[in-house]
Amino acid sequence: MLRDIIIGQYYQTESVIHRLDPRVKLGGTLLYIISLFCFDNFIGYVLAILFLGIVIRLSHVPFKLMVRGMKAILFLLLITAVFNLFLTPGEPLVSVWKLSISKEGLVLAVTMAVRLSLLIIGSSIMTLTTTPNNLTDGMEKMMAPLKVFRIPVHEVAMMMSIALRFIPILLEETDKIMKAQMARGADFESGNIFARAKALVPLLIPLFVSAFRRANDLAMAMESRCYRGGDGRTKMKPLVYARRDAIAYVCLVGYLVVSIVLGNVVLW
Amino acid sequence: MNIIETKDLTYEYVRRDDQGNIEGIVKAVDGVSISVEPGQFVAILGHNGSGKSTLAKHLNAILKPGEGTVWVDGMDTADESNLWDVRQRAGMVFQNPDNQIIGQVVEEDVGFGPENMGVPTKEIWERVEESLRAVGMYMYRKDSPNKLSGGQKQRVSIAGVFAMHPKCIVLDEPTAMLDPSGRKDVICAIRGLNDVEGVTVILITHYMEEIIHADKVFIMDDGKVAMQGTPKEIFSQVEKLQELRLNVPQVTLLAEALKQRGIALPDGIVTKEELAEALGL
Repeated sequence: MLRDIIIGQYYQTESVIHRLDPRVKLGGTLLYIISLFCFDNFIGYVLAILFLGIVIRLSHVPFKLMVRGMKAILFLLLITAVFNLFLTPGEPLVSVWKLSISKEGLVLAVTMAVRLSLLIIGSSIMTLTTTPNNLTDGMEKMMAPLKVFRIPVHEVAMMMSIALRFIPILLEETDKIMKAQMARGADFESGNIFARAKALVPLLIPLFVSAFRRANDLAMAMESRCYRGGDGRTKMKPLVYARRDAIAYVCLVGYLVVSIVLGNVVLW
Repeated sequence: MNIIETKDLTYEYVRRDDQGNIEGIVKAVDGVSISVEPGQFVAILGHNGSGKSTLAKHLNAILKPGEGTVWVDGMDTADESNLWDVRQRAGMVFQNPDNQIIGQVVEEDVGFGPENMGVPTKEIWERVEESLRAVGMYMYRKDSPNKLSGGQKQRVSIAGVFAMHPKCIVLDEPTAMLDPSGRKDVICAIRGLNDVEGVTVILITHYMEEIIHADKVFIMDDGKVAMQGTPKEIFSQVEKLQELRLNVPQVTLLAEALKQRGIALPDGIVTKEELAEALGL
Protein backbone atom coordinates (compact mmCIF):
# COMPACT_ATOMS: atom_id res chain seq x y z
CA MET A 1 0.00 0.00 0.00
CA LEU A 2 1.20 3.45 -0.90
CA ARG A 3 -0.20 4.85 2.32
CA ASP A 4 2.27 2.96 4.44
CA ILE A 5 5.30 4.25 2.64
CA ILE A 6 8.17 5.32 4.90
CA ILE A 7 9.73 8.60 3.95
CA GLY A 8 13.47 8.76 4.33
CA GLN A 9 15.02 5.64 5.73
CA TYR A 10 14.24 5.94 9.41
CA TYR A 11 14.66 2.62 11.24
CA GLN A 12 12.36 2.37 14.24
CA THR A 13 14.02 0.91 17.31
CA GLU A 14 15.06 1.89 20.82
CA SER A 15 18.65 3.05 21.32
CA VAL A 16 20.82 5.76 22.82
CA ILE A 17 21.56 7.11 19.38
CA HIS A 18 17.86 7.35 18.55
CA ARG A 19 17.22 9.33 21.70
CA LEU A 20 20.01 11.85 21.07
CA ASP A 21 19.03 15.38 20.18
CA PRO A 22 18.93 15.78 16.38
CA ARG A 23 21.34 18.70 16.69
CA VAL A 24 23.95 16.38 18.21
CA LYS A 25 23.52 13.94 15.36
CA LEU A 26 23.72 16.65 12.70
CA GLY A 27 26.77 18.22 14.31
CA GLY A 28 28.32 14.83 14.97
CA THR A 29 27.94 13.76 11.35
CA LEU A 30 29.56 16.98 10.21
CA LEU A 31 32.46 16.54 12.66
CA TYR A 32 32.93 12.94 11.61
CA ILE A 33 33.07 13.91 7.94
CA ILE A 34 35.63 16.62 8.73
CA SER A 35 37.68 14.14 10.73
CA LEU A 36 37.78 11.77 7.75
CA PHE A 37 39.80 14.30 5.82
CA CYS A 38 42.05 15.41 8.64
CA PHE A 39 44.17 12.30 9.19
CA ASP A 40 47.02 11.16 7.11
CA ASN A 41 48.12 7.73 8.34
CA PHE A 42 47.05 4.24 9.20
CA ILE A 43 46.06 5.00 12.82
CA GLY A 44 43.56 7.55 11.58
CA TYR A 45 41.73 4.88 9.57
CA VAL A 46 41.70 2.47 12.45
CA LEU A 47 40.29 5.15 14.74
CA ALA A 48 37.62 6.20 12.23
CA ILE A 49 36.49 2.62 11.66
CA LEU A 50 36.54 1.86 15.36
CA PHE A 51 34.49 4.94 16.20
CA LEU A 52 31.94 4.18 13.51
CA GLY A 53 31.73 0.57 14.66
CA ILE A 54 30.93 1.61 18.22
CA VAL A 55 28.24 4.03 17.05
CA ILE A 56 26.68 1.37 14.84
CA ARG A 57 26.62 -1.07 17.77
CA LEU A 58 24.99 1.56 19.99
CA SER A 59 22.37 2.42 17.37
CA HIS A 60 20.91 -1.13 17.19
CA VAL A 61 20.41 -0.64 13.45
CA PRO A 62 21.26 -3.74 11.36
CA PHE A 63 24.52 -3.20 9.51
CA LYS A 64 23.09 -4.53 6.25
CA LEU A 65 20.71 -1.56 6.07
CA MET A 66 23.72 0.74 5.92
CA VAL A 67 25.39 -1.37 3.28
CA ARG A 68 22.19 -1.18 1.26
CA GLY A 69 22.59 2.59 1.29
CA MET A 70 26.02 2.10 -0.25
CA LYS A 71 24.62 0.47 -3.38
CA ALA A 72 23.37 3.79 -4.68
CA ILE A 73 26.83 5.27 -4.75
CA LEU A 74 28.70 2.14 -5.78
CA PHE A 75 29.12 3.48 -9.31
CA LEU A 76 30.50 6.79 -8.07
CA LEU A 77 32.86 4.91 -5.80
CA LEU A 78 34.06 2.77 -8.69
CA ILE A 79 34.72 5.73 -10.98
CA THR A 80 36.64 7.54 -8.25
CA ALA A 81 38.75 4.48 -7.61
CA VAL A 82 39.46 3.82 -11.30
CA PHE A 83 40.43 7.42 -12.02
CA ASN A 84 42.72 7.55 -9.02
CA LEU A 85 44.18 4.20 -9.94
CA PHE A 86 45.18 5.07 -13.48
CA LEU A 87 45.69 8.80 -13.46
CA THR A 88 47.94 9.32 -10.49
CA PRO A 89 51.52 9.89 -11.61
CA GLY A 90 54.25 8.07 -9.74
CA GLU A 91 56.32 4.94 -9.61
CA PRO A 92 54.70 2.45 -12.07
CA LEU A 93 53.73 -0.98 -10.77
CA VAL A 94 51.97 -2.54 -13.75
CA SER A 95 51.89 -1.14 -17.23
CA VAL A 96 49.45 -2.24 -19.92
CA TRP A 97 49.52 -0.43 -23.25
CA LYS A 98 49.26 3.30 -22.47
CA LEU A 99 47.75 2.82 -19.02
CA SER A 100 49.87 2.29 -15.99
CA ILE A 101 49.08 1.76 -12.38
CA SER A 102 51.38 3.56 -10.03
CA LYS A 103 52.07 2.68 -6.43
CA GLU A 104 50.78 6.08 -5.33
CA GLY A 105 47.70 5.58 -7.45
CA LEU A 106 46.91 2.27 -5.82
CA VAL A 107 47.27 3.72 -2.33
CA LEU A 108 45.16 6.76 -3.24
CA ALA A 109 42.42 4.65 -4.85
CA VAL A 110 42.09 2.38 -1.84
CA THR A 111 42.20 5.15 0.77
CA MET A 112 39.74 7.28 -1.18
CA ALA A 113 37.30 4.39 -1.47
CA VAL A 114 37.57 3.69 2.26
CA ARG A 115 37.07 7.35 3.15
CA LEU A 116 34.02 7.68 0.90
CA SER A 117 32.46 4.50 2.29
CA LEU A 118 32.97 5.69 5.85
CA LEU A 119 31.44 9.03 4.90
CA ILE A 120 28.33 7.44 3.44
CA ILE A 121 27.84 4.98 6.30
CA GLY A 122 28.48 7.74 8.83
CA SER A 123 25.79 9.99 7.42
CA SER A 124 23.35 7.14 6.91
CA ILE A 125 23.47 6.50 10.66
CA MET A 126 22.01 9.96 11.13
CA THR A 127 19.11 9.40 8.72
CA LEU A 128 18.49 5.88 10.00
CA THR A 129 18.15 6.95 13.62
CA THR A 130 16.34 10.29 13.27
CA THR A 131 12.77 10.85 12.08
CA PRO A 132 12.54 13.33 9.19
CA ASN A 133 10.45 15.56 11.40
CA ASN A 134 13.08 15.61 14.11
CA LEU A 135 15.75 16.26 11.55
CA THR A 136 13.88 19.28 10.20
CA ASP A 137 13.46 20.61 13.73
CA GLY A 138 17.14 20.15 14.42
CA MET A 139 18.12 21.92 11.21
CA GLU A 140 15.81 24.82 11.96
CA LYS A 141 17.34 25.26 15.39
CA MET A 142 20.93 24.91 14.16
CA MET A 143 20.50 27.27 11.24
CA ALA A 144 18.76 29.88 13.39
CA PRO A 145 21.84 32.17 13.45
CA LEU A 146 21.53 32.46 9.66
CA LYS A 147 18.44 34.60 10.18
CA VAL A 148 20.86 37.49 10.63
CA PHE A 149 21.64 37.16 6.92
CA ARG A 150 17.91 37.21 6.14
CA ILE A 151 17.83 33.53 5.28
CA PRO A 152 14.24 32.36 5.96
CA VAL A 153 15.25 29.42 8.15
CA HIS A 154 11.85 28.82 9.73
CA GLU A 155 10.07 28.99 6.39
CA VAL A 156 12.46 26.50 4.79
CA ALA A 157 11.98 24.08 7.70
CA MET A 158 8.19 24.48 7.49
CA MET A 159 8.30 23.84 3.74
CA MET A 160 10.33 20.68 4.29
CA SER A 161 7.93 19.28 6.84
CA ILE A 162 4.89 20.12 4.70
CA ALA A 163 6.56 18.42 1.74
CA LEU A 164 7.11 15.33 3.88
CA ARG A 165 3.46 15.36 4.92
CA PHE A 166 2.23 15.61 1.35
CA ILE A 167 4.50 13.08 -0.35
CA PRO A 168 2.24 10.10 0.51
CA ILE A 169 -0.88 12.05 -0.45
CA LEU A 170 0.54 13.04 -3.83
CA LEU A 171 1.84 9.52 -4.42
CA GLU A 172 -1.61 8.14 -3.86
CA GLU A 173 -3.02 10.76 -6.18
CA THR A 174 -0.49 9.88 -8.87
CA ASP A 175 -1.60 6.30 -8.58
CA LYS A 176 -5.26 7.31 -8.96
CA ILE A 177 -4.64 9.53 -11.99
CA MET A 178 -2.50 6.84 -13.58
CA LYS A 179 -5.27 4.28 -13.20
CA ALA A 180 -7.84 6.73 -14.52
CA GLN A 181 -5.72 7.43 -17.60
CA MET A 182 -4.98 3.75 -18.10
CA ALA A 183 -8.69 3.01 -17.96
CA ARG A 184 -9.05 5.39 -20.87
CA GLY A 185 -6.34 3.67 -22.85
CA ALA A 186 -3.20 5.52 -21.85
CA ASP A 187 -0.04 3.47 -22.19
CA PHE A 188 2.75 4.23 -19.75
CA GLU A 189 4.85 1.13 -20.28
CA SER A 190 5.67 0.51 -23.92
CA GLY A 191 7.78 2.43 -26.41
CA ASN A 192 11.23 3.93 -26.17
CA ILE A 193 12.29 6.40 -23.54
CA PHE A 194 10.93 9.41 -25.48
CA ALA A 195 7.55 7.81 -26.04
CA ARG A 196 7.35 6.96 -22.38
CA ALA A 197 8.36 10.45 -21.29
CA LYS A 198 5.68 11.85 -23.55
CA ALA A 199 3.11 9.48 -22.07
CA LEU A 200 3.77 11.03 -18.68
CA VAL A 201 2.41 14.42 -19.75
CA PRO A 202 -1.26 13.50 -19.20
CA LEU A 203 -0.19 12.23 -15.77
CA LEU A 204 1.84 15.24 -14.73
CA ILE A 205 -0.58 17.98 -15.76
CA PRO A 206 -3.51 16.86 -13.59
CA LEU A 207 -1.05 16.15 -10.79
CA PHE A 208 0.33 19.69 -10.92
CA VAL A 209 -3.12 21.23 -11.10
CA SER A 210 -4.19 19.27 -8.07
CA ALA A 211 -0.97 20.05 -6.17
CA PHE A 212 -1.50 23.77 -6.70
CA ARG A 213 -5.09 23.50 -5.58
CA ARG A 214 -4.01 21.65 -2.46
CA ALA A 215 -1.32 24.24 -1.77
CA ASN A 216 -3.92 26.99 -2.02
CA ASP A 217 -6.28 25.20 0.37
CA LEU A 218 -3.51 24.43 2.82
CA ALA A 219 -2.29 28.03 2.85
CA MET A 220 -5.81 29.17 3.63
CA ALA A 221 -6.18 26.59 6.40
CA MET A 222 -2.84 27.61 7.91
CA GLU A 223 -3.73 31.29 7.86
CA SER A 224 -7.09 30.65 9.41
CA ARG A 225 -5.23 28.90 12.23
CA CYS A 226 -3.25 32.07 12.87
CA TYR A 227 -0.03 31.00 11.14
CA ARG A 228 2.12 34.07 10.57
CA GLY A 229 5.68 32.84 10.23
CA GLY A 230 8.16 31.83 12.88
CA ASP A 231 8.14 34.97 15.04
CA GLY A 232 6.32 34.66 18.33
CA ARG A 233 5.66 30.98 17.74
CA THR A 234 6.05 28.51 20.58
CA LYS A 235 6.89 24.84 20.16
CA MET A 236 4.84 21.89 21.24
CA LYS A 237 7.94 19.70 21.29
CA PRO A 238 10.86 22.04 21.87
CA LEU A 239 14.36 20.63 21.51
CA VAL A 240 16.01 20.50 24.91
CA TYR A 241 19.51 19.15 25.48
CA ALA A 242 19.73 16.33 27.99
CA ARG A 243 22.77 14.97 29.86
CA ARG A 244 23.39 12.30 27.24
CA ASP A 245 23.68 15.03 24.59
CA ALA A 246 26.47 16.72 26.51
CA ILE A 247 28.24 13.38 26.90
CA ALA A 248 27.86 12.75 23.18
CA TYR A 249 29.37 16.14 22.37
CA VAL A 250 32.35 15.43 24.62
CA CYS A 251 32.89 12.04 22.97
CA LEU A 252 32.70 13.59 19.51
CA VAL A 253 35.16 16.37 20.22
CA GLY A 254 37.42 13.89 22.00
CA TYR A 255 37.38 11.64 18.95
CA LEU A 256 38.10 14.57 16.61
CA VAL A 257 41.10 15.73 18.66
CA VAL A 258 42.58 12.24 19.05
CA SER A 259 42.02 11.55 15.37
CA ILE A 260 43.76 14.75 14.28
CA VAL A 261 46.67 14.37 16.70
CA LEU A 262 47.37 10.66 16.19
CA GLY A 263 46.35 10.75 12.56
CA ASN A 264 49.12 13.17 11.72
CA VAL A 265 51.98 11.60 13.66
CA VAL A 266 54.73 10.56 11.31
CA LEU A 267 55.22 6.89 12.08
CA TRP A 268 57.91 5.80 9.77
CA MET B 1 -23.88 40.99 22.31
CA ASN B 2 -23.96 38.83 19.22
CA ILE B 3 -20.90 36.75 18.54
CA ILE B 4 -21.26 37.10 14.78
CA GLU B 5 -23.09 39.87 13.04
CA THR B 6 -23.13 40.86 9.39
CA LYS B 7 -24.84 43.92 8.00
CA ASP B 8 -25.65 44.29 4.29
CA LEU B 9 -22.64 42.12 3.44
CA THR B 10 -21.94 42.08 -0.28
CA TYR B 11 -19.06 40.37 -2.08
CA GLU B 12 -18.42 40.25 -5.79
CA TYR B 13 -16.23 37.93 -7.80
CA VAL B 14 -14.93 39.60 -10.91
CA ARG B 15 -14.40 37.27 -13.84
CA ARG B 16 -11.74 38.30 -16.31
CA ASP B 17 -10.83 36.96 -19.74
CA ASP B 18 -7.25 36.28 -20.96
CA GLN B 19 -6.48 39.93 -21.56
CA GLY B 20 -7.67 40.91 -18.10
CA ASN B 21 -10.83 42.60 -19.34
CA ILE B 22 -13.82 42.27 -17.10
CA GLU B 23 -16.15 39.62 -18.46
CA GLY B 24 -18.74 39.64 -15.79
CA ILE B 25 -19.36 40.29 -12.14
CA VAL B 26 -20.95 37.66 -9.94
CA LYS B 27 -22.44 38.77 -6.69
CA ALA B 28 -21.62 35.76 -4.56
CA VAL B 29 -23.04 37.34 -1.43
CA ASP B 30 -25.66 40.00 -1.87
CA GLY B 31 -26.82 42.16 1.04
CA VAL B 32 -26.72 39.48 3.73
CA SER B 33 -27.54 40.48 7.30
CA ILE B 34 -27.40 37.72 9.88
CA SER B 35 -26.74 37.60 13.58
CA VAL B 36 -25.66 34.71 15.76
CA GLU B 37 -25.93 34.68 19.54
CA PRO B 38 -23.26 33.06 21.73
CA GLY B 39 -23.80 29.35 22.32
CA GLN B 40 -26.14 28.87 19.39
CA PHE B 41 -25.96 26.09 16.83
CA VAL B 42 -26.62 27.79 13.54
CA ALA B 43 -26.92 26.06 10.19
CA ILE B 44 -26.52 27.75 6.84
CA LEU B 45 -28.00 25.74 4.04
CA GLY B 46 -27.96 26.19 0.33
CA HIS B 47 -27.11 24.35 -2.85
CA ASN B 48 -23.89 24.83 -4.82
CA GLY B 49 -23.22 28.41 -5.84
CA SER B 50 -25.64 29.90 -3.34
CA GLY B 51 -22.85 31.92 -1.72
CA LYS B 52 -22.68 30.01 1.54
CA SER B 53 -18.95 29.28 1.36
CA THR B 54 -18.15 32.87 0.45
CA LEU B 55 -20.15 33.97 3.47
CA ALA B 56 -18.19 31.51 5.64
CA LYS B 57 -14.86 32.90 4.51
CA HIS B 58 -15.96 36.36 5.67
CA LEU B 59 -16.52 35.12 9.21
CA ASN B 60 -12.85 34.19 9.53
CA ALA B 61 -11.51 37.29 7.75
CA ILE B 62 -10.14 35.22 4.86
CA LEU B 63 -12.22 37.50 2.65
CA LYS B 64 -12.92 41.13 3.40
CA PRO B 65 -16.39 42.52 2.75
CA GLY B 66 -16.84 44.33 -0.55
CA GLU B 67 -19.66 46.32 0.96
CA GLY B 68 -21.25 46.15 4.37
CA THR B 69 -19.63 45.05 7.62
CA VAL B 70 -18.89 41.84 9.50
CA TRP B 71 -18.37 41.87 13.25
CA VAL B 72 -16.86 38.89 15.05
CA ASP B 73 -17.19 39.21 18.82
CA GLY B 74 -17.61 42.95 18.35
CA MET B 75 -14.53 43.34 16.12
CA ASP B 76 -14.79 44.66 12.59
CA THR B 77 -13.12 42.13 10.27
CA ALA B 78 -12.17 44.84 7.77
CA ASP B 79 -9.75 46.28 10.35
CA GLU B 80 -6.30 44.76 9.68
CA SER B 81 -5.23 45.14 13.33
CA ASN B 82 -8.03 42.77 14.43
CA LEU B 83 -7.06 40.05 11.95
CA TRP B 84 -5.40 37.51 14.28
CA ASP B 85 -7.89 38.08 17.08
CA VAL B 86 -10.76 37.48 14.68
CA ARG B 87 -9.16 34.26 13.45
CA GLN B 88 -8.60 33.04 16.98
CA ARG B 89 -12.19 33.83 18.08
CA ALA B 90 -13.82 32.30 15.02
CA GLY B 91 -12.02 29.10 14.01
CA MET B 92 -12.64 27.59 10.62
CA VAL B 93 -12.88 23.99 9.43
CA PHE B 94 -12.77 23.37 5.70
CA GLN B 95 -14.22 20.79 3.38
CA ASN B 96 -11.23 18.67 2.40
CA PRO B 97 -9.66 17.01 5.45
CA ASP B 98 -6.41 16.21 3.62
CA ASN B 99 -5.74 19.81 2.71
CA GLN B 100 -5.98 21.27 6.18
CA ILE B 101 -3.87 18.91 8.27
CA ILE B 102 -0.35 20.26 8.62
CA GLY B 103 1.25 17.95 11.16
CA GLN B 104 2.67 14.52 10.44
CA VAL B 105 1.32 13.19 13.71
CA VAL B 106 -2.24 13.80 14.95
CA GLU B 107 -1.19 15.51 18.17
CA GLU B 108 1.26 17.78 16.36
CA ASP B 109 -1.46 18.95 14.03
CA VAL B 110 -3.78 19.79 16.90
CA GLY B 111 -0.92 21.71 18.51
CA PHE B 112 -0.31 23.79 15.37
CA GLY B 113 -2.86 26.51 16.17
CA PRO B 114 -1.77 27.03 19.79
CA GLU B 115 1.88 27.05 18.62
CA ASN B 116 1.07 29.89 16.24
CA MET B 117 -0.63 31.81 19.02
CA GLY B 118 2.46 31.56 21.22
CA VAL B 119 0.86 29.41 23.93
CA PRO B 120 3.47 28.02 26.40
CA THR B 121 4.56 24.42 25.74
CA LYS B 122 2.96 22.90 28.82
CA GLU B 123 -0.40 24.50 28.07
CA ILE B 124 -0.26 23.34 24.45
CA TRP B 125 -0.11 19.74 25.66
CA GLU B 126 -3.08 20.30 27.97
CA ARG B 127 -5.08 21.87 25.17
CA VAL B 128 -4.20 19.09 22.74
CA GLU B 129 -5.32 16.41 25.16
CA GLU B 130 -8.54 18.24 26.01
CA SER B 131 -9.40 18.87 22.35
CA LEU B 132 -8.66 15.35 21.19
CA ARG B 133 -10.79 13.95 24.01
CA ALA B 134 -13.63 16.33 23.12
CA VAL B 135 -13.86 14.90 19.59
CA GLY B 136 -13.10 11.31 20.64
CA MET B 137 -9.76 11.04 18.86
CA TYR B 138 -7.43 10.85 21.86
CA MET B 139 -6.44 7.24 21.24
CA TYR B 140 -5.16 8.16 17.78
CA ARG B 141 -2.92 10.97 19.02
CA LYS B 142 0.35 9.26 17.99
CA ASP B 143 -0.88 8.14 14.57
CA SER B 144 -0.08 9.56 11.18
CA PRO B 145 -3.05 11.47 9.69
CA ASN B 146 -2.56 9.53 6.46
CA LYS B 147 -3.73 6.37 8.18
CA LEU B 148 -7.03 7.82 9.40
CA SER B 149 -10.40 7.68 7.65
CA GLY B 150 -12.01 10.83 6.28
CA GLY B 151 -14.32 11.25 9.25
CA GLN B 152 -11.44 10.78 11.69
CA LYS B 153 -9.30 13.31 9.83
CA GLN B 154 -12.13 15.80 9.90
CA ARG B 155 -12.51 15.31 13.66
CA VAL B 156 -8.77 15.96 14.04
CA SER B 157 -9.25 19.20 12.09
CA ILE B 158 -12.07 20.18 14.43
CA ALA B 159 -9.86 19.40 17.44
CA GLY B 160 -7.13 21.55 15.88
CA VAL B 161 -9.48 24.50 15.74
CA PHE B 162 -10.95 23.82 19.19
CA ALA B 163 -7.44 23.80 20.72
CA MET B 164 -7.22 27.50 19.87
CA HIS B 165 -10.12 28.05 22.30
CA PRO B 166 -12.35 29.88 19.86
CA LYS B 167 -15.70 31.31 20.87
CA CYS B 168 -17.15 30.18 17.61
CA ILE B 169 -16.36 27.48 15.06
CA VAL B 170 -17.33 27.91 11.43
CA LEU B 171 -17.50 24.65 9.48
CA ASP B 172 -17.60 24.95 5.73
CA GLU B 173 -19.23 21.75 4.46
CA PRO B 174 -17.16 19.53 6.76
CA THR B 175 -19.06 16.40 5.75
CA ALA B 176 -19.26 16.87 1.99
CA MET B 177 -16.42 14.43 1.27
CA LEU B 178 -17.30 11.80 3.88
CA ASP B 179 -19.20 8.52 3.89
CA PRO B 180 -22.41 8.29 5.96
CA SER B 181 -20.77 6.86 9.07
CA GLY B 182 -17.97 9.43 8.99
CA ARG B 183 -20.59 12.13 8.55
CA LYS B 184 -22.46 10.94 11.62
CA ASP B 185 -19.30 10.93 13.77
CA VAL B 186 -18.37 14.44 12.67
CA ILE B 187 -21.85 15.86 13.32
CA CYS B 188 -21.82 14.10 16.69
CA ALA B 189 -18.46 15.71 17.57
CA ILE B 190 -19.74 19.14 16.50
CA ARG B 191 -22.88 18.80 18.60
CA GLY B 192 -20.76 17.68 21.53
CA LEU B 193 -18.64 20.82 21.33
CA ASN B 194 -21.80 22.91 21.18
CA ASP B 195 -23.67 21.17 24.01
CA VAL B 196 -20.85 20.32 26.39
CA GLU B 197 -18.28 23.03 25.75
CA GLY B 198 -20.72 25.78 24.84
CA VAL B 199 -18.91 26.75 21.63
CA THR B 200 -21.02 28.62 19.11
CA VAL B 201 -21.24 26.56 15.93
CA ILE B 202 -21.98 27.75 12.43
CA LEU B 203 -22.44 24.73 10.21
CA ILE B 204 -22.53 25.25 6.49
CA THR B 205 -23.96 22.32 4.60
CA HIS B 206 -26.19 21.12 1.86
CA TYR B 207 -27.51 18.12 3.76
CA MET B 208 -30.98 18.76 5.12
CA GLU B 209 -30.74 16.15 7.87
CA GLU B 210 -27.79 17.96 9.45
CA ILE B 211 -29.82 21.08 10.23
CA ILE B 212 -32.54 19.33 12.21
CA HIS B 213 -30.84 19.94 15.56
CA ALA B 214 -29.88 23.55 14.86
CA ASP B 215 -31.21 26.44 16.94
CA LYS B 216 -31.50 28.62 13.90
CA VAL B 217 -31.33 28.01 10.17
CA PHE B 218 -30.50 30.37 7.35
CA ILE B 219 -31.25 29.22 3.83
CA MET B 220 -29.25 30.92 1.13
CA ASP B 221 -30.10 31.19 -2.50
CA ASP B 222 -28.36 33.25 -5.14
CA GLY B 223 -26.30 35.18 -2.58
CA LYS B 224 -29.28 36.20 -0.49
CA VAL B 225 -30.86 34.84 2.66
CA ALA B 226 -34.02 33.24 1.29
CA MET B 227 -35.47 31.86 4.53
CA GLN B 228 -34.59 31.95 8.19
CA GLY B 229 -35.99 30.53 11.39
CA THR B 230 -35.96 27.45 13.56
CA PRO B 231 -35.84 24.08 11.77
CA LYS B 232 -39.55 23.64 12.57
CA GLU B 233 -40.44 26.93 10.95
CA ILE B 234 -38.32 26.09 7.93
CA PHE B 235 -39.67 22.60 7.45
CA SER B 236 -43.27 23.71 7.73
CA GLN B 237 -42.85 25.51 4.41
CA VAL B 238 -42.34 22.46 2.24
CA GLU B 239 -43.40 24.13 -0.99
CA LYS B 240 -41.01 27.01 -0.61
CA LEU B 241 -38.16 24.61 0.11
CA GLN B 242 -38.94 22.69 -3.04
CA GLU B 243 -39.04 25.95 -4.97
CA LEU B 244 -35.46 26.56 -3.76
CA ARG B 245 -34.54 23.11 -5.09
CA LEU B 246 -33.70 21.73 -1.66
CA ASN B 247 -34.30 18.15 -0.65
CA VAL B 248 -36.87 17.96 2.09
CA PRO B 249 -36.47 14.98 4.49
CA GLN B 250 -38.74 12.07 3.61
CA VAL B 251 -40.50 12.15 6.98
CA THR B 252 -41.48 15.77 6.45
CA LEU B 253 -42.78 14.97 2.98
CA LEU B 254 -44.78 12.04 4.34
CA ALA B 255 -46.29 14.19 7.10
CA GLU B 256 -47.21 16.80 4.54
CA ALA B 257 -48.88 14.23 2.30
CA LEU B 258 -50.82 12.81 5.27
CA LYS B 259 -52.01 16.27 6.19
CA GLN B 260 -53.35 16.81 2.72
CA ARG B 261 -55.34 13.59 3.07
CA GLY B 262 -57.01 15.07 6.10
CA ILE B 263 -54.98 13.64 8.97
CA ALA B 264 -54.44 16.24 11.66
CA LEU B 265 -50.71 16.72 12.20
CA PRO B 266 -48.66 19.63 13.54
CA ASP B 267 -46.43 21.65 11.19
CA GLY B 268 -42.70 21.07 10.79
CA ILE B 269 -42.23 17.39 11.56
CA VAL B 270 -38.59 16.53 10.93
CA THR B 271 -37.81 13.25 12.68
CA LYS B 272 -39.33 9.79 12.56
CA GLU B 273 -39.88 9.88 16.32
CA GLU B 274 -41.92 13.08 16.10
CA LEU B 275 -44.14 11.65 13.40
CA ALA B 276 -44.66 8.44 15.31
CA GLU B 277 -45.64 10.41 18.38
CA ALA B 278 -47.98 12.71 16.45
CA LEU B 279 -49.70 9.70 14.96
CA GLY B 280 -50.05 8.17 18.41
CA LEU B 281 -47.99 5.09 17.59
